[in-house]
Amino acid sequence: MSDPDAVDPSVQLDRLLEDDPADLYENAPMGYLSTLPDGRIVKVNRTFCAWTGRSPEDLIGSRFQDLLSVGGRVFHETHLMPLLRMQGAVREIAIDVQRLDGSLLPCLLNAVELRGADGAPQLVRATLFEATARRRYERELLAAQRQAEESEARSRTVQRVVFDLAAATTEEDVASVIVQRSRAGMKARGAALVLVQGKADDPELPALRPVHAEGLSRELLRRLREAAGSRLALELAQGVRSIVLEERLRRDQPELAAAMATTGLTELVIVPVSADSKRLGVLVLALGDAAPGQLISLVEPGERRAIPASEIDLLYTLGRQAGQALERVRLHQETVRQAERAAFLLEAARLVADAVDVQDMVTRLAELAVARLADICVIDLVTEKGTTREAARHRDPARQEVLDRARSAQQLTVQAGGHPGLRALREGRTQWTRDVDDSRLAAMTLEGAQRESVRALELAAVVSVPLAIEGRRLGVITLAADRHRAPFTAADVEVAEQLALQVAQVVDKAQRFELESQTSHTLQESLLPTDPPPVPGLRTAVRYVAATQGVSVGGDFYDVVALPGGLLGLAVGDVVGHDITAAATMGQLRSVYRAYLAGQPSPSALIERLQGSWSLLGVQRMATALFGTLDPVSGELRVASAGHLPPLLCSNGTASFLPVRPTRMLGAPPADEPAEEWAGELRAGSTLVLYTDGLVESRSADIDEGLDRLLEVAARACSADPDALCDRLLAEMAGEHRPDDIALLALTRV
Amino acid sequence: MGSVVTRNRVCTSGVPSGRPLVFVHGFGCDQTMWRFVAPAFERDHRVVLFDHVGSGRSDLSAYDPEKYGSLEGYADDIVEICRELGLRDVVLVGHSVAAMMGVLAFRRAPDLFGALVLVGPSPRYVDDGDYVGGFSRTDIAGLLDALDSNHLGWSAEMAPVIMGNADRPDLAAELTNSFCRTAPDIARQFARVTFLSDNRADLADVSVPTLILQCTDDAIAPDAVGEYVHRQIPGSELVRLAATGHVPQLSAPEETSAAIRAFLDR
Repeated sequence: MSDPDAVDPSVQLDRLLEDDPADLYENAPMGYLSTLPDGRIVKVNRTFCAWTGRSPEDLIGSRFQDLLSVGGRVFHETHLMPLLRMQGAVREIAIDVQRLDGSLLPCLLNAVELRGADGAPQLVRATLFEATARRRYERELLAAQRQAEESEARSRTVQRVVFDLAAATTEEDVASVIVQRSRAGMKARGAALVLVQGKADDPELPALRPVHAEGLSRELLRRLREAAGSRLALELAQGVRSIVLEERLRRDQPELAAAMATTGLTELVIVPVSADSKRLGVLVLALGDAAPGQLISLVEPGERRAIPASEIDLLYTLGRQAGQALERVRLHQETVRQAERAAFLLEAARLVADAVDVQDMVTRLAELAVARLADICVIDLVTEKGTTREAARHRDPARQEVLDRARSAQQLTVQAGGHPGLRALREGRTQWTRDVDDSRLAAMTLEGAQRESVRALELAAVVSVPLAIEGRRLGVITLAADRHRAPFTAADVEVAEQLALQVAQVVDKAQRFELESQTSHTLQESLLPTDPPPVPGLRTAVRYVAATQGVSVGGDFYDVVALPGGLLGLAVGDVVGHDITAAATMGQLRSVYRAYLAGQPSPSALIERLQGSWSLLGVQRMATALFGTLDPVSGELRVASAGHLPPLLCSNGTASFLPVRPTRMLGAPPADEPAEEWAGELRAGSTLVLYTDGLVESRSADIDEGLDRLLEVAARACSADPDALCDRLLAEMAGEHRPDDIALLALTRV
Repeated sequence: MGSVVTRNRVCTSGVPSGRPLVFVHGFGCDQTMWRFVAPAFERDHRVVLFDHVGSGRSDLSAYDPEKYGSLEGYADDIVEICRELGLRDVVLVGHSVAAMMGVLAFRRAPDLFGALVLVGPSPRYVDDGDYVGGFSRTDIAGLLDALDSNHLGWSAEMAPVIMGNADRPDLAAELTNSFCRTAPDIARQFARVTFLSDNRADLADVSVPTLILQCTDDAIAPDAVGEYVHRQIPGSELVRLAATGHVPQLSAPEETSAAIRAFLDR
């Protein structure tokens, strides 16, 4: 059984397949068009017209490339058309066709070129498939790929930064890494790392210091710092933010806006640099139009491209990485500096101990300070003559001259009232100027050449520490850092204070000692007879030469005194010690022996009496002494020695020691040993020389050698002129460096 | 021959003693762009063709984004090629962006070049104040997008073959759109360098006879731009072609050859 109405399916299919070719062309499920080689459309199907909303009349005669978007038109010229000419066909070209309403129809295009017998192009046949969904999908894929690439680029930036920061050992290293990497990563025109000096939460405005800057003018950084002003702490807390060159900025911060405009910047991005909760500073990135010589920016001039959130995240990360690296580097540097400071103080202590005198000490300390601690070190001392500049050193020998110029004009006493050194002296405490700006410079200097000289030193920070002991202000040490050095830390200031304490103690001791020394010399000078009394038949000469080392005074003495009865009393001696007590003892001794000798002109008896009454005299020191009496008429000479070196006799070109046997020193523990007296004659033309041990000990530690040498020299120098003899003896026996005083007494009998 | 020849796939033909003609292709395809024009000069000239690094069958491994981040990098290569081949009194025929490469190459080594032929030149594509380049920044952004949609048969799988791994000629033969095929990253950067350069200031330095060929209805280098180049290059000659579009050496090779020859014969 079959249905008579039923159409045979194969017949139906045949009927369907017997398509009208025209219909097949017009209503094919694809756009179909034919153009001349120059693109003019000569035939187009209905499908394409329907897709584009254009009528065939519209399309015929117009150029296919004019239907494309601008980008598509360029692609047509540079790729599609050349390919067609060269390989005769193109496949799967993605182009956007503009609909009548202006919207775009994403298509895929295939085309073939028909050529004549001569190979010249005659016609181009093209088919277009709508590819909206497919192109959207591709675009999404592409966008995802781009995003992945950007994300990868970001993590590469972070990785590189972390890697580079690990190798950084100084703040400058950290700054250079972070500035270069972030600048490259953000394609910024310039970048700078600006750090807070001191504490960020300082109630006073913390100072800002650009550590490293690239592609940013100093002027811009200065304006930015000024603009941040007192709101700095707030600024730092605000996270990544932008300062855009726009109307409001031009109104509120005209200088900053001008600085941005002149360097072609459109935006400054401020990134906090922090470690944990500590805000250490900011990273500044400058965005702007592309620099001349580079490619034209796709961003319209003056138009601002908002920073995407992903980049802000990146900047945050860079800021935190920089902060942590800074903390680590600072910790490391602080450890190194602590070790350096300890070594510095140790060396300073050694230097202070070795110094010959105060001048030597401060000079060498100043040199040490500029080698280790500061760029400039100046030491002023308060003396009777007022405040004197004892040392002023600059680390850089080339700039020493600038420092000298700055200091030469004025002594501290006539410096400007705001000079930190003066304030330190006045207030008796350390003065620490962290940031020497124009106003501070004006306060600490006098107007004119001096200020300009000081300005040339580019001071960044100054620390003045008073030298004080028990409330007495002895002077002031001033240290300064210039703009090329890291700022002083609290630890540096502590070192300066410890140094000042050391110096103060030495200066104090030296000043006391100098006072005592001066007193001793005055006393000694008053005790020694200036000129021996003139005695007929005798020529006398005396010399007193002080030691060259130290500021000590000796207890050496000589004496020539006319005794009752025409005799002459002679004495040479040496009180133990080199101080005011030694000088005083010498004076006391002289009164006593003169009195005894006047009563009984016997040198040995004199020694016996002095030994016997030593404890009663209340003399604190022991002494060696040689006493004698001389009859100028007969030449009779008597000599006795209490532990003293033998007298020297020069006669007719020969020299010899008188064989006077010395007994114990004056004041030495008693011994059963009576004083001996030598008696003889001082012949006419002979010279008697009495001296203290300084004469023979000066060149050699071995006293016997010294005595031998004295004989040699005396023999050669033997003369009837005692003054000439004294001079020759001193010239040849006493060197330039004398550890001890020398007393010399010479008598020639004529 | 040195690495320069391999790097840029330099091909020479014609009469070795003839005045050298160096044809330089622009952004898009490769040296085959000159296939209908170059042969016309082989009988009396030394003809030199090459591919820019990153295009055609050049050595892609020589592509250095830093160097080719500006037209100067391409100009350096032109100078290198001329020196390598020992050319003198060169006539440089540069199409589109290669016209500007030629100007830069001349500035680098003026002694090498005897004449310039600039086909569809444009010293700056982006409008700037009174200057009309024909494109806005938005247009260029659209172009870069259009390029991203067309990788012309480039795929990661095929890359080794395309890059000259010659042991699979069967694969190479199958490749479509081969003349204009470039690695996507390189194509994108080349497009940026082409359309975002500004060489207006360099034109005044050209001091050899210069021919400017200006097409009709050129969407890339409009009439106004050709006239601008003509005004800026002292003593230059501007010839308007009947050929439409931007690539007269393909769309009207006879007219193009004739114009060049007329210039050379003068």
